[in-house]
Amino acid sequence: MDWHQLWEITSAPDNIPIVALLFLVPFYAWYGLRQALENDRLVAQLEKDPAMAKTHHRKTQPWKPGWSREVHVWPYLMRIEFLAALIVTFILMVWSITLNAPLEEPANPNLTMNPAKAPWYFLGLQEMLVYFDPWIAGVLMPTLIIIGLMVIPYIDTNPLGNGYYTFRQRPIAILSFCFGFLGLWVLMIIIGTFIRGPGWMWFWPGQTWDHNRLVFEVNRDLHEIWPFSAVIPQTSWLAKGLFGGAVVALYYLLAGLAVHKVFVLNEFTRKIYRRMGLVQYLTVQFFFVTMLGLPVKMLLRLLFRIKYVWVTPWFNI
Amino acid sequence: MPEETPERLSDDPIVGRSMSGALLAASLLLLASLAWALYDEFYGLRPWKLYQQRFVQLYSAYLDKAIQEQAAAEEALAQTPTYQGLLQQLQEAQAAIAPREKEINDELAIIEQRLTVLTTLFANARGEVTALVYEAEVAAGEEQRQRILDRVEKVKRGPFRARLPVPDGTLETIDYNYDRLESDYTHLQARKAFLLSELARVREHVTELNTELRAYVEENTLGLSTAQLKGLLSKAKKFDIDVKQIHVIETDLVDRCESCHLGIREPLELTGATWEEVASQGGKGKPSADDRQYAAFVSHPNRELLRIHDPERFGCSPCHGGNGRATSSVVKGHGRHKYWLWPLHYRENFEAGCQQCHARDMVVEHAPVLNRGKELFRLRGCVGCHRFEGFDDERERLQGVGMAIRRINLQKADFEREIKLSIRRGDEAPDNEQAQRYYAQAENLRVRISGLDAELEQLRLQARSLLREEKRIGPNLKEIRAKLRPEWIPVWLRSPHAWRPTTKMPRFRLDETEVHAISAFLWQNALPGSVPRQPEGNPARGKQLFETRGCLACHALGEGESAVGGTFAANLSRIGEKANYDYLVRWTYNPRQRLRPYCPLEKRDLTPEDYAKHGLPFEFDLEHSRCPNDGEELQVQSGTVMPSLRLTWEDARDIATFLMGQRQQDPASYTKADYLDNRELAEQGKFLVRHYGCAGCHEIGGFETEGRIGTELTAEGSKPVERLDFALLTEHAKRGILPDGSPSPRGKWYDHKGFFEQKLANPGVYDQGKIKPPLERLRMPEPNVTPEEITALTTFLLGSVDPGYGFPTDYLYHPEDRRKDIQDGWWIVTRYNCMGCHQIRIGQESVLMTLPAYQTPEGKEQRPPVLIGAGARLNPDWLARFLENPALSKTDLNRNGVRPYLQARMPTFNLSLREIQTLVRFFAALSSQTQPYIPPPVRPLTDVERTVARQLFTHPAAPCLKCHATGDPVHDRNVNAPNFLLARERLQPAWTLRWMLDPARMIPGTAMPSGLFRREGDRWVFSGPLPPGAQVYKGDHAELLQRYIFELTAEEQRRLAGRVPVGPAAASAAGSGMATNLVKSH
Repeated sequence: MDWHQLWEITSAPDNIPIVALLFLVPFYAWYGLRQALENDRLVAQLEKDPAMAKTHHRKTQPWKPGWSREVHVWPYLMRIEFLAALIVTFILMVWSITLNAPLEEPANPNLTMNPAKAPWYFLGLQEMLVYFDPWIAGVLMPTLIIIGLMVIPYIDTNPLGNGYYTFRQRPIAILSFCFGFLGLWVLMIIIGTFIRGPGWMWFWPGQTWDHNRLVFEVNRDLHEIWPFSAVIPQTSWLAKGLFGGAVVALYYLLAGLAVHKVFVLNEFTRKIYRRMGLVQYLTVQFFFVTMLGLPVKMLLRLLFRIKYVWVTPWFNI
Repeated sequence: MPEETPERLSDDPIVGRSMSGALLAASLLLLASLAWALYDEFYGLRPWKLYQQRFVQLYSAYLDKAIQEQAAAEEALAQTPTYQGLLQQLQEAQAAIAPREKEINDELAIIEQRLTVLTTLFANARGEVTALVYEAEVAAGEEQRQRILDRVEKVKRGPFRARLPVPDGTLETIDYNYDRLESDYTHLQARKAFLLSELARVREHVTELNTELRAYVEENTLGLSTAQLKGLLSKAKKFDIDVKQIHVIETDLVDRCESCHLGIREPLELTGATWEEVASQGGKGKPSADDRQYAAFVSHPNRELLRIHDPERFGCSPCHGGNGRATSSVVKGHGRHKYWLWPLHYRENFEAGCQQCHARDMVVEHAPVLNRGKELFRLRGCVGCHRFEGFDDERERLQGVGMAIRRINLQKADFEREIKLSIRRGDEAPDNEQAQRYYAQAENLRVRISGLDAELEQLRLQARSLLREEKRIGPNLKEIRAKLRPEWIPVWLRSPHAWRPTTKMPRFRLDETEVHAISAFLWQNALPGSVPRQPEGNPARGKQLFETRGCLACHALGEGESAVGGTFAANLSRIGEKANYDYLVRWTYNPRQRLRPYCPLEKRDLTPEDYAKHGLPFEFDLEHSRCPNDGEELQVQSGTVMPSLRLTWEDARDIATFLMGQRQQDPASYTKADYLDNRELAEQGKFLVRHYGCAGCHEIGGFETEGRIGTELTAEGSKPVERLDFALLTEHAKRGILPDGSPSPRGKWYDHKGFFEQKLANPGVYDQGKIKPPLERLRMPEPNVTPEEITALTTFLLGSVDPGYGFPTDYLYHPEDRRKDIQDGWWIVTRYNCMGCHQIRIGQESVLMTLPAYQTPEGKEQRPPVLIGAGARLNPDWLARFLENPALSKTDLNRNGVRPYLQARMPTFNLSLREIQTLVRFFAALSSQTQPYIPPPVRPLTDVERTVARQLFTHPAAPCLKCHATGDPVHDRNVNAPNFLLARERLQPAWTLRWMLDPARMIPGTAMPSGLFRREGDRWVFSGPLPPGAQVYKGDHAELLQRYIFELTAEEQRRLAGRVPVGPAAASAAGSGMATNLVKSH
């Protein structure tokens, strides 16, 4: 166990936000969920108690006797936000006094640094480059992420859960967030920071980042692997393209089915499903399946050393 | 919230809770962080403020004390009669001029007052007039112009009323018109200027006396005067706490080092000890535990360097490294962190900073460590494998010249073709005019070809020079069959250091098979020829010759501490165990002689058959250096720098016999090496010789044109540290663990310094832990260096950077004037170890000077001449001839041309034309001589002058010929100075004159007496009792003698020599005795 190496990584001024991330993200996830579950219990109580349901007309919202029915933005929200602003400003002040900007030596075009890492908030993107073509990981995926975020208001047909924490009333939304943001984005940032060393090689925490390290890894395209290699003519673009296309199409079909299963899991999810129009549902399906494609591809690469599934002269997936 | 009920407020988690506590706490925290930020801004990020406060405290305390001490010293001085006398003179002089001074000052005061009034008045008037005149100039019509001019006239008429002071203190009122105003104004100005100059004239004598008084005080007290110290103190009192910055605008260099290093340029010598003393004595500065501050406040230890490199022009960081702009912490300012590429040089390596700009200098003044590094780099043969710009580049230059020759030949062919074409066009031209143009063109081309021929001739000369200059660090291995005992070769290869601890040959990490293979290859690959048999010599005489001829300037005898002699060439203590006597004799006689000449065109050694084929005798030397096969210039000399001492064969035999006796064990006791004739082994050996780059230093048959196998090091210091292969030691270096596992005293060593030091200490170190086949291992051999030498080499390499790496390129020392001649010369002077015998730099000691044999009075007379100022002494044309042939004779070679009385011999170096030119220019430049040298016209002596001069020349108080040689062997047995007959050709008259007047000033300790002449008015007169002729002679005696010496003929000298008594002891005793007498009488 190379503690020195671990300390080097965690103490680098560059990595402060990520070390903070490591603790803050789970904490707030837990804190938010605790509040959500608490509220869910209150809502359940409300639903069980017909008497109270009468006095309190909106039974889907958490409420207790003695609580105000409505809370005004001013001053109750604003003062909390103001407090948060004070604390964040304080933290930034202390941070900027104690740590200097992590500037390095003058850039030398003849000598690139190794490992060359993107700013921490882009490390997820950089990690994606390991698994996809630059064009896909660097252009297509980010675009899809932005569009995906933009369409949320248009595909979210669930009217519940506004203004308070709840899990039961928004399970799909919360699980999607946990998977897409915590599971993929944050995890990839952490991998990019702590795991990727010189040569963008995989170093377990506590392994020395040795610049002389050599690893033997051969990545192959799916069609080069037996038994596919026996059937598919390796020199024909057409055969390879058709094969890869078919595999990807198959994936979309199977993954779409799996997502559909989630949507018809229980009465509540079915209600959400029923409210969606065809276009809305197809959009949701597309984004979910595509998002799911990322971890699938990561696993294929990391566990089975598969480079590309679909190889064409124009793009590779 | 009026409508909320109290119970609700208490129950609701949001509405019912007050947040004032949290808000207050957060606000206070934020406020506190603001305070912290302000503190950080003013002090945290500006540590130099505290340094400056501390410095002012300490410095004031120090100056207070210094002023007291100085005042006491000056007080004491004021009591001396000289001071009192001077003071009285001063006072008298002041009293004498007082009335006149007052008169002038009074008048000046009035003028000053009047001028103040008039200046304003006149400026206003002139402003108005010139503005009106301008309007008139641009007026629309003649009429309007006239109108304006009329107005000008009116304005000029005035009146301008002035109320001017007069001497009696009242005011007079004058109404001026413009013209009078102007004339009065200019008149007053002129009067003022006159009075000021008059005042200076009147005060002249007083000022002089004042200066004299001050000079007297300064001369008789140490350090600065009280006035100067008080000036410093008042400066310290007025000290402004601020960033002290040097900004060199031309190079945009900003250095703020002096924000903390406040004492650097102070005119006092301030050391760490000074400050500790000041602080411990209390006073205004309390003792501080932070001794780092004391180190920061020292003055620059070498003021001379600061004078040469004025900080206002050079800053600090270009020499020292570090980040000149950073002021926020010591680490940042010194740049000692991994992101600053140009960190402060470590104390032991700071001369690396010199190398950055002075890479073209072989010898850099004030940089002994760097000079040592450069010397080692060349001497230890590093340059055999590692190319380094400027070091031993003859082979490359030779290639360059070859290419230039080919290019010119092509150009000539082109021109020839064009000439033919032009002529044909001319022939076919339709009219005469055009034809003439073509013919003229052809004519011009022919002339241009003749120009190319001249260039070609120069290039051939250069090629010839370069071929002669090409030297190798190690001996020629083609001759080992004639030179060595075979069984010694493997012993040597196994570990050269074990056999000869001081050798420059590095130790290769060879296994036994490799040693055998290489030995076998070298043995079989050597030339078959042998050298003539030689009879035994006389070892006792050989020893005496070895010790006196100057061999010890380069070679040493004796091991370890008891070694006597120079380290430039091999220590010969065990030479008898390895060498072949006959070869050693020939080598001693002429080391440059080869068994066979080498033809660079055919790339082989010529055999006697090659010569026989063309009916030529097998004869090759510098006069017979053309290849019989193709006319190419041959390599006829061995590539050694060892010169010929022009010994006789008998001398050579004696020395060789003596050397053959230098052994520690019987050569017969070496193990026989039968495998030397094994053919298979030799094949393997050939591969290894190439693999290990043996041909970098040695001449080996078949490897003559082999290139260097190592990395070029010209800019190694600026190579990114990531490109230095620390291999498996990378993490060690980054964490400060040495290769042997112990902690590094310096901490992390992942930098250039660390890399070089470890590599030099153990060249194979970066193979540590690597699993490699033998031939892939690091090849660099162990260079046999001490820790000090490692530091020197590291310093040299650290400073070897790309131009402008961390400093502005403007600072590169690439002079084009006289200084370039000096630069070029040092490369040759160091290459041939001239400083083994001669002193060339002031303060430098030659090797011979330091040997015990040269410490006695007789020994001192035997020291080779000092060459400081030689450029002013010698006629450059003569010097060139002398360097080419120091015997100054074609036939009588067994002698010194100038100083026959010296046992040590000025050797014949067989210098190339270029080397001779460079050396002559070098000496001239060192003595600030202009080039070319044109001898001044000679003024012949009249008969009277000649008689007087002859009397002086043979004067019994200073008989010149007692010490100066005449060429007569009997006379010359007891002399210690050169022959006068050489003077005309050899010396410069002006120098000769200066020499006769005060030789000890030029060369302290010279046998030539000083004080021969004394000053009388504007001429020099002989110091001894004047002979009758000289009493009458009104001219300058020294000059007369100089002219006489330059006119002296052999016949006259012979005649005069007869009159001078010569006795072995008497000569020198009388000579020196007379010198002291003369000095006393003077």
